[in-house]
Amino acid sequence: MAGLTQQLWGVEFQSPVLLASGTCGYGQEYAGLIPLDELGGIVTKAVSVEPRPGNPPHRVAETPGGMINAIGLQNVGLERFREEKLPWLAENLDRSHVLVNVVGHTADDFATVVADLDDAEGFLGYEINVSCPNVKGGTLFGTDPEALGELVRRVRGSTDRPVIVKLTPNVPDIAVYARVCEDAGADGLSTINTFPGMLIDVDARRPVIGNLSGGVSGPAILPMGVYLTWQAARAVEIPIIGIGGIRTARDALQYVLAGASLVQVGTALFVDPDVAINVHREISTYLDQQGVARLADLVGALETSGHV
Amino acid sequence: MSAPCRLPARVLSNERAASDTYWLELDAPPIAETAVPGQFVMIGFGLQDLDAPFLPRPFSIGWRGEDGRIGLLVRRFGPGTHRLAALRAGEEVLLLGPLGRGFEWETGRALVCVAGGVGLAPFLFLAPEAIRNGASVSILYGERTGDRVFDPRLVEQLTGVRPDLYTEDGSIGRAGRVIDGIERGTESCLFGCGPTPMLKALERLAREAELSLQVSVEEHMGCGIGTCQGCVVRSSTGDWIKSCTEGPVFRREELAWPD
Ligand SMILES: Cc1cc2nc3c(=O)[nH]c(=O)nc-3n(C[C@H](O)[C@H](O)[C@H](O)COP(=O)(O)OP(=O)(O)OC[C@H]3O[C@@H](n4cnc5c(N)ncnc54)[C@H](O)[C@@H]3O)c2cc1C
Ligand SMILES: Cc1cc2nc3c(=O)[nH]c(=O)nc-3n(C[C@H](O)[C@H](O)[C@H](O)COP(=O)(O)O)c2cc1C
Ligand code: FES
Repeated sequence: MAGLTQQLWGVEFQSPVLLASGTCGYGQEYAGLIPLDELGGIVTKAVSVEPRPGNPPHRVAETPGGMINAIGLQNVGLERFREEKLPWLAENLDRSHVLVNVVGHTADDFATVVADLDDAEGFLGYEINVSCPNVKGGTLFGTDPEALGELVRRVRGSTDRPVIVKLTPNVPDIAVYARVCEDAGADGLSTINTFPGMLIDVDARRPVIGNLSGGVSGPAILPMGVYLTWQAARAVEIPIIGIGGIRTARDALQYVLAGASLVQVGTALFVDPDVAINVHREISTYLDQQGVARLADLVGALETSGHV
Repeated sequence: MSAPCRLPARVLSNERAASDTYWLELDAPPIAETAVPGQFVMIGFGLQDLDAPFLPRPFSIGWRGEDGRIGLLVRRFGPGTHRLAALRAGEEVLLLGPLGRGFEWETGRALVCVAGGVGLAPFLFLAPEAIRNGASVSILYGERTGDRVFDPRLVEQLTGVRPDLYTEDGSIGRAGRVIDGIERGTESCLFGCGPTPMLKALERLAREAELSLQVSVEEHMGCGIGTCQGCVVRSSTGDWIKSCTEGPVFRREELAWPD
């Protein structure tokens, strides 16, 4: 499948399709079901300094065209991640790349995780999660340009590995935040995380989600993700990973045309674990049919002349 | 426990078994061959049809045939279960399974299965397997109303056990709750599956009578295989633990039982 490779951050991605944070655990869980080493890579569940207990149930529920979740970033914590999860990734993934999703309450938290993991094996770089709406204070960095810039500079100073910042859609102008990250030394952006939302059980007259509100993902958010990716891509030069609602190759290609060099598939994995490899294969078919030699030629190739 | 597999499975038959209740048989050899009682499957409708329910739905494996069939007992509830109830022979669904940790029992023990509603499903699978292993099995089966009762003769056909039937409206079987049928002070192992209030009552009874009890719990699920952390229940040590991989069957001592 020539033509699908992308050269980014000093390495080759054999496929533009990665698995999104929080939807593929630490990789191991899907080992028998998804050919992980044939994909572009995986992004781990968020890793924080200390283990996080997470939110009370219900944590997930179906919404029209997708789902809502409020996991509360439950994760094994830095130490167990390094001792128990990373070695498996180092051993089992040769050709696909691992990004470690990092979360914290303070810039120190983020820097601690990065400094601690940096000399370990089994991953390429970091996806800095400044956007999770499900924990108190979790959106602080993602919605405050000044705090965001400081955080990115801090992380940038702690590592030579690729630093990719995952943005929240919950801002009036994502271009501002994209530029702040680029100026602070980020190597790339991931757009986007879930949208804040709420689901109410009208019989019980109660929120369905234990945390009251949560993040909405799945096909329902596809057009918003594409739009925000397009806006971010126009604002910066650094590569972008498009995320949100992808379930087909054509969905993924919308992100690519809007300016994404890679994509991540998340919620759709729950419906069909084959989705990631199917998207990969169907992009290849599309390139053949359209006579496009390299996927890279389509990145940001959206034609808008004559529209407005 | 064997690794789960994902497969499109053909519907072999789908019959109305009681009011709002369906017996669905699927052709799923890799699941039928490896499943143990108490395990479940996620049934999904795929990604092509956006009118279909999105997330896959969890169902206990209710039976398995020698020929690769599995049977599920499905009660209509919301859009997902309505869709399942409407499936016809020849249609396909996406299956992921077998999933989770099943029931454990020692050979030669007396097992008492306490089922509320479609909580009956896992025991249709457990009973014949346990009997084959030399255990003796009784099934206490309760429904709110008589029209929802899964035919006791079918239960006997599938399991070799004639269930003790309870209905709250008293229209079939004994009037009352299934929990009233449990004899205290025996050496038997209790197994429970059904609505939370029933499980709580069962837990209290088992604790007071110092009986062993395993329950199968139900929580909303995303992935069914341990990645999303969506399906947690409170453990006795105060942690949130995943019911899809650490359960859905738990020993009563493993869980917190708030009043
Ligand atoms: C391990 C396990 C085994 C089960 N076995 C059976 C069985 O054998 N027979 C049977 O009829 N039902 C069983 N259930 C319950 C069944 O999964 C739900 O009734 C079904 O998911 C409801 O979907 P819906 O679209 O009809 O309802 P809705 O309420 O519209 O569902 C909305 C969302 O909430 C979730 N949800 C709602 N109720 C439940 C519930 N009780 N448990 C888990 N998720 C729920 C759904 O999966 C869906 O994501 C089982 C549940 C679990 C967790
Ligand atoms: C259950 C669940 C857990 C998630 N956990 C994380 C997380 O830990 N860190 C993060 O950056 N994003 C997390 N996300 C967001 C996804 O990575 C992704 O950005 C979002 O779901 C949109 O993509 P999708 O529509 O393909 O799922 C989570 C999403 C879901 C559904
Ligand atoms: S349902 Fe995803 S972890 Fe249990």
